[in-house]
Amino acid sequence: MGRAVIMLGDLRLYALLLRAQIRSQGVYRVSFALDALAAALITATEYAAFALVLPRFGSLSGWTLGEVSVLYGLAELAFVLMDLLFGGFDAPNLSAHIRSGSFSTFLLRPAPLPVQVFGSDFALRRVTRVVLAAGILWYGVSQVAVPWTPGDVALLVGSVVGMICFFGGLFVIGGTLTFWTVDSVEAMNVLTYGGRALISYPMDIYGSLLRRAFTYVIPAAFLSYFPVLHVLHRPLPDGLPGWAAFVSPVVGPLMLAAAFAFWTLGVRRYQGTGT
Amino acid sequence: MRPSGLALAVSVARLGFRRQFAYPQAALWGIVTNGFFGVLRIAILVALFGARPQVAGYTVQAAVTYAGLTQTLIAALALFGWTDFMRAVHRGEVVTDLLRPHDLLGFHAAQDAGRAAGQFVLRGLPMLALFAVGFGAVWPAGVEGWVTTVLSLLLAWALSFAFRFVVNCAAFWSPDAVGIGRFAWALWGLGCGFLMPLAFFPAWLQAALAWTPFPGMLNTPVEVWLGVRTGGDAWRALGAQLAWTVALYALAQAVLARGLRRLEIHGG
Repeated sequence: MGRAVIMLGDLRLYALLLRAQIRSQGVYRVSFALDALAAALITATEYAAFALVLPRFGSLSGWTLGEVSVLYGLAELAFVLMDLLFGGFDAPNLSAHIRSGSFSTFLLRPAPLPVQVFGSDFALRRVTRVVLAAGILWYGVSQVAVPWTPGDVALLVGSVVGMICFFGGLFVIGGTLTFWTVDSVEAMNVLTYGGRALISYPMDIYGSLLRRAFTYVIPAAFLSYFPVLHVLHRPLPDGLPGWAAFVSPVVGPLMLAAAFAFWTLGVRRYQGTGT
Repeated sequence: MRPSGLALAVSVARLGFRRQFAYPQAALWGIVTNGFFGVLRIAILVALFGARPQVAGYTVQAAVTYAGLTQTLIAALALFGWTDFMRAVHRGEVVTDLLRPHDLLGFHAAQDAGRAAGQFVLRGLPMLALFAVGFGAVWPAGVEGWVTTVLSLLLAWALSFAFRFVVNCAAFWSPDAVGIGRFAWALWGLGCGFLMPLAFFPAWLQAALAWTPFPGMLNTPVEVWLGVRTGGDAWRALGAQLAWTVALYALAQAVLARGLRRLEIHGG
């Protein structure tokens, strides 16, 4: 009961922090509109470059545009939602807070640290990307000729939640590393942005070495590729059992829990930059 | 530029070149990131080709080279955007620039030429070697192939700089020109053929882009490199690049002059 009250208080604080940022970001209206449009344009041009080219080739190793759009839309939707939620933990943002000394003020305030970081960098302009990603996913779902069951829908929703947790965990780890290095950790970009790009396309196109690495070493294939294979009634690779398609909602939260354990360790060791 | 102007430009460019080597670790991670994305793009292109020997004048090997080359040129041509001049305007540093007895546009062009050359040597060449060894890249054919490729690459840099500079001049009018910049860079990525070779696009889009300077900023030099354009066709493409370069520099000069006049009026 007491814990529930604390959680409610945290949510209220988070909502307050978001409202403050949304209001400040709306000050320059024209600039904000352009920025929001530009954010959507990045997704739009990348998707369009693929969608416009595919008809000339017929298919992507047996995948239609609709089928690829399901994968692409899922990955983009999850990543952009994650970016909205976890933006404060992204290494460039967090290292800027550390260098300016504002992170030390977070530590002094009588409010939970993660809630403050969660509410510290909310980029409202990315909302247009969420809409666009949902549109791509919607287009893909409407194009594929499979009967949809409530279970399929639940699986895709679970896949999005799993991916939000997974990539959010990577952001938290990347942010925590800046306690030690101050400079943003570029290597994490390969895993976050690279991982998003990797799982936006059917993974059988990447030679077996790369695909296996992103299945068994970094479990990216479980996030959306396997769930989509299941929904499309395609077999899983390597003779993996059917339940492997349902692992995403478990892999993601596990990753996030591990990331926050690392975060706690980092905060305890944190000494500040003396700013 | 006055007689001493050229000597000044050379030393400014040399400084811009040397500055790129200050953070070798950042360059290394840049190579890792660009290399990783290059491998992904190559996988998509190879899968698209499937068993087809040729599409729109491209073989699989040419398409793979295209992906490798464009990844190689990201840093040199600043394909993800460039906000140096924007920052100079916002911080008011452009005012100190004005006190110096040189042409502002020429000064920044020289600095960016040095930056581009430094990035090409530091990041581009190792990456090119990586893609050549790992995926078997295609090379320009014969003396004419190399000459037209090098000229086209230089013109692509000049065009990209003029375009970036015009976009940066938005800072004179908007307190937050970063949004305008992001908008411009996104259009640029599609229009110059960074995301996909323009030859793969539908005819209507290719026809529309032919009226813009964008193809000359990346697509043209790569097609000349690959031999998709040769002989008279290649020289005509270079002519188009040159014409757009002259036009965009004139535009940059005009926009800069208006921006500076505005700055004087506001007493900034």
